[in-house]
Amino acid sequence: MTYGFRRTRDGGVRVRLDDNEVQVVRSLVGQILELLEADAKEAGDDSGAAEIGMPSLGISGRTATPDDPVLARLFPDAYGDDAEAAGDFRRYTESGLRDGKRAAAATVLTGLDAGPGLIELTAEEAQAWLRALNDVRLALATRLGLTDGFHLFGSMDPTDPRNVYDWLTFLQETLVRAVR
Amino acid sequence: MVNTAPVEVERPESATDVRPDLPWVTIVWNDPVNLMSYVTYVFQTVFGYPKAKAKKLMLDVHHKGRAAVSSGTREEMERDVEVLHGYGLWATLQQDR
Repeated sequence: MTYGFRRTRDGGVRVRLDDNEVQVVRSLVGQILELLEADAKEAGDDSGAAEIGMPSLGISGRTATPDDPVLARLFPDAYGDDAEAAGDFRRYTESGLRDGKRAAAATVLTGLDAGPGLIELTAEEAQAWLRALNDVRLALATRLGLTDGFHLFGSMDPTDPRNVYDWLTFLQETLVRAVR
Repeated sequence: MVNTAPVEVERPESATDVRPDLPWVTIVWNDPVNLMSYVTYVFQTVFGYPKAKAKKLMLDVHHKGRAAVSSGTREEMERDVEVLHGYGLWATLQQDR
């Protein structure tokens, strides 16, 4: 089992992931990427402009809080008490935020191709992994209904998603320590 | 794919962080997922706060449920919220009370 991320001399990070760990990260990050890509299509991000040969302005059609609680957590309302302002903010920022999260997830999937075994990342890639791992934990916690920060489960079942979540928490913690 | 979302904010240096004539604030809300170490790191990275200040704000979020982490014009606060959302923090903006 991995010891987690370590800083490297050139300012990047390294981590050893075994085959199972690579598969777990690949599966979860892949699911996030699929969710975001489907959401982009639904919000009309990827259509229209490209079809008529125009650059995308990054303005999405959507103004309402997403129904999917995972998307609602990844793209929260910016105003608590002003739905119109929240809608405007969403319209102008959501697509750029989504692109950033898609790019971070894609960076992780590419990085995993170096595994299983030693994976070395540049400082910039480490930042992408940091944000992507955070997105995965947000999504998983939302889906599992986790409301506490820390869990100690009696089950030692490695496929129990709550154990996977705890492992990802450990992994992200080591990455924060390696980059700060 | 181009990442169009900003990851840092640049601010002209000022003597204090709270400017009473610019009445909007960015609030960060506590949530059970974000690591304390990560939130502290994000505050340092995004706002350039020294570690002690970033940690204090993180602890305010953690213990009080929310904390004001920056202040300025509405446009500046919208930018801050956008950057914080990029890091997965739950942030909103509002007029200062």
